[in-house]
Amino acid sequence: MLSQPKRENNTSFWNERRGRMFSRKGGWIIGEAVYNHGYSMLDELAGHVSFFQVLSLNTVGRLVERRFADWLEALFICLSWPDSRVWCNQTGSLAGTMQVSPVAGVCAGILSSDSRMYGPGCMTAACDFIINALRQTGCGSSAEEIVGLCSMASPDTPPKVAGYARPVATGDERIDAMVRVGEMLGVTTGKHLVLAGEIEKFMKARWGETMNLAGYSAAVFADHGFSSQETYRLLSCWVNSGIHACYAEAADQPPESFFPLHCEDIDYQGKAARPVPACERS
Amino acid sequence: MSANSQQVRKRDMTFASRTQTRIWQEIPSEENPYLAGQCRCHGYDILELAQKRSFADVLFLLFQGELPSPEQAKMLETLLIALINPGPRHPATRAAMNAAVSKTHIQHLLPIGLAVMGGAHLGGAEVLASMRFLDANLARQPVEVAAECLVAPQPAEGDFHPVPGFGSRFGGVDPLPGQTAALLVSLSASGRALAWGQGFAEALAPHGMGWLTSGVAAAALHDLGFSPWAGGGLFQLACAPGILAHGLELADKPITAMPFLDEEHYVIAAEARK
Repeated sequence: MLSQPKRENNTSFWNERRGRMFSRKGGWIIGEAVYNHGYSMLDELAGHVSFFQVLSLNTVGRLVERRFADWLEALFICLSWPDSRVWCNQTGSLAGTMQVSPVAGVCAGILSSDSRMYGPGCMTAACDFIINALRQTGCGSSAEEIVGLCSMASPDTPPKVAGYARPVATGDERIDAMVRVGEMLGVTTGKHLVLAGEIEKFMKARWGETMNLAGYSAAVFADHGFSSQETYRLLSCWVNSGIHACYAEAADQPPESFFPLHCEDIDYQGKAARPVPACERS
Repeated sequence: MSANSQQVRKRDMTFASRTQTRIWQEIPSEENPYLAGQCRCHGYDILELAQKRSFADVLFLLFQGELPSPEQAKMLETLLIALINPGPRHPATRAAMNAAVSKTHIQHLLPIGLAVMGGAHLGGAEVLASMRFLDANLARQPVEVAAECLVAPQPAEGDFHPVPGFGSRFGGVDPLPGQTAALLVSLSASGRALAWGQGFAEALAPHGMGWLTSGVAAAALHDLGFSPWAGGGLFQLACAPGILAHGLELADKPITAMPFLDEEHYVIAAEARK
């Protein structure tokens, strides 16, 4: 390797931060208050606004209207399925059956939901898609042309469009529920959701696939000015309630009684038995 | 958008009736079908492996299906030792230490640290990305690739990773990854990725950048034949012992054993206060 002339590194950026923490969010001044984005948390937030308003404030720095926070809460309810077959929930059940602490079990389940297929893990793709799609319509692209830019495994299979189609089932009953909640609360929607509907019409006619809850909610978040990253962060714990249910049910039963497997329930397809060769060392 | 009366139908999908694996075979005991009387890893009895082979050998076997050559085993063991402790200043270790000193249940220390060790900056996600980058560029000249990636705009503040696994750390070239790479390159199992990375790091050096730990791990794991998907997790696994050891060191100490900044050093922006 060629030797390089030694030169002193410029570490001023880190020197300014060494031994100190800086926050634009807030903090605790002992004996005075807990400040949160300009509010005294215990005087002005606790008891005055909802948890989901504070979640939005802490996550994206904006105290959203109560009705939007209530819509967000309903969105969390829509992912609160107490069904252990759902992958992240099953993680909670498996943690429960091994008598893991509830915090670890629910955290493990939430981590499982950081998926490219469903849950919060697919939200950046869904948000990026609809935000970029609206920009493309500004350049004259149609819904069909926008979908045509998405990757296809073959001409006979539906393209992978973030926010459309879902595993296991077609259609998404949660959208009806959220539309109803939005109308009841007076949550406005805009161009992103209109376009999402146009794309759905094309997807349904051409491929029989519909929008999923991620696609619907991504469009509503975009209509309300949330970026992809902000939406992803807001929904990090989206599935937590369903995992709680599955964890608790399994944890309350004898250990290892949730969905036990015989040895033969695993289909081994690997190499046949063979002797271990003696170790040679280099 | 109005309610669209979604019709929900189960897809016509065939799910496996049994989960399949090519890695591990459990032979049921005669008395109880839930208990394994014997376990085989890619065909080898696990207890025979325990008697005859090293941990690094069996780790390699687990992910690749065959035991390593002596040269490969030597390189994997060298890498595992080089990565064994990210050190007490690394954010992943500090997360475990912070949890420990605040009396978090001991069993959580490792997952806490490993979650932080999974990130896109110097973590498992960067190792995965770096292995993909190496895969895509090994056929090209390092100097040519370096010239291309240095055109990208650098962030106004903080470090710059022009590609995953290479860049600056705290404004300079991190010396230890370079030393680790040099050690690994001297081993007979080192291959194209480590050699390519050496050339790439040399091309970056005049710009104050070089190997990062994530890049060294990526190149070594690539040369050992691991997939990028395995690489990210193996990196976390390799760093696990140090994270846990530092956490445990703090676990029975009072909360005063680590800094808790006073108001003078916790600076709240004026707009965040009343």
